[in-house]
Amino acid sequence: MSEFHLTEDQQDCLQELINIAMGQASDQLARYLDTFVYLKVPSIESIDAKDLLQTLSQQQNTMAVVSQGFFGYEGIRGEALLSYQEEDSGRIGDLLGYEPDELSQDEQLIDISSILTTTFLNVFARQIDNQMSYNAPKLLPSVQNCLSEHLQEMTFNWDLALKININYQVTDYSFNCNMILLIPETAIINIKKVLDRILAEF
Amino acid sequence: MSPSVLICDDSNMARKQVLRSLPEQWKTSAQTANNGAEALTLLRDNSIEVLFLDLTMPGIDGIGVLQGIKKLNLNCSVFVISADIQPEMQAKVKALGAKEFIRKPVKPDVLINHLQQHGLL
Repeated sequence: MSEFHLTEDQQDCLQELINIAMGQASDQLARYLDTFVYLKVPSIESIDAKDLLQTLSQQQNTMAVVSQGFFGYEGIRGEALLSYQEEDSGRIGDLLGYEPDELSQDEQLIDISSILTTTFLNVFARQIDNQMSYNAPKLLPSVQNCLSEHLQEMTFNWDLALKININYQVTDYSFNCNMILLIPETAIINIKKVLDRILAEF
Repeated sequence: MSPSVLICDDSNMARKQVLRSLPEQWKTSAQTANNGAEALTLLRDNSIEVLFLDLTMPGIDGIGVLQGIKKLNLNCSVFVISADIQPEMQAKVKALGAKEFIRKPVKPDVLINHLQQHGLL
């Protein structure tokens, strides 16, 4: 148990904030795609940098990862990674209702990722009286070297990160998207402070 | 007389949020459950009159609890309190017999209002 680990109460509080953000992001996605999104309980865990890369590259058939940095007040920052499966690649254009050749598949992936990431994080931020800014989303082909380079290029200290895993499953299209939020060590300390402030009200 | 009340949510914070939104006289006797299975046991063995129910839970989720209530033919007013606000989900819980869908995080005035509308206050 290090200073970066969450207590049971902090974990519970964070999970509930995430639930609400996830619910609203799914609602947006469902309206956008005119379908239903099946929600699962999100998972929160601390993960070592070396395990992180392994976990990410182990996900089977990952076709692409869209990465978008976010930062708010009080030193709350991180990186949102949205990963997509190979078998879904052809469906995304259909889902978004784009005409063939209107937008490249890469652009479509970036579009849908940005909707999910910003809706989720805006709702999350609102609950903790914060406000997020975003970097431009970046598409990474899921070649292990590429992902590894990208993670190393980040300005964060990645020895330990909080890994929040949220699965958005679009039932009609059997389309799956995994959102992984990586929160670096210094930001974990800052989030813990915010969580304690909320918990103190209860 | 306050009714027998059960709050079912896998989050401790969410249970507290519901508890503190309840009418004052209901607070002391309210029971809680951490998951759907626990809720169904309590519902079966005690005559629960009002249930505040979360949807996204591990194991038996809120939909499972609503189906269980139907199957067991229990007479209980269910208020779903959930973050899964998709219109399709709201329609689904109503079709399964829930009185109302209330979005998270729950606010005391909203909850009280719903209880009044359904003649529980």
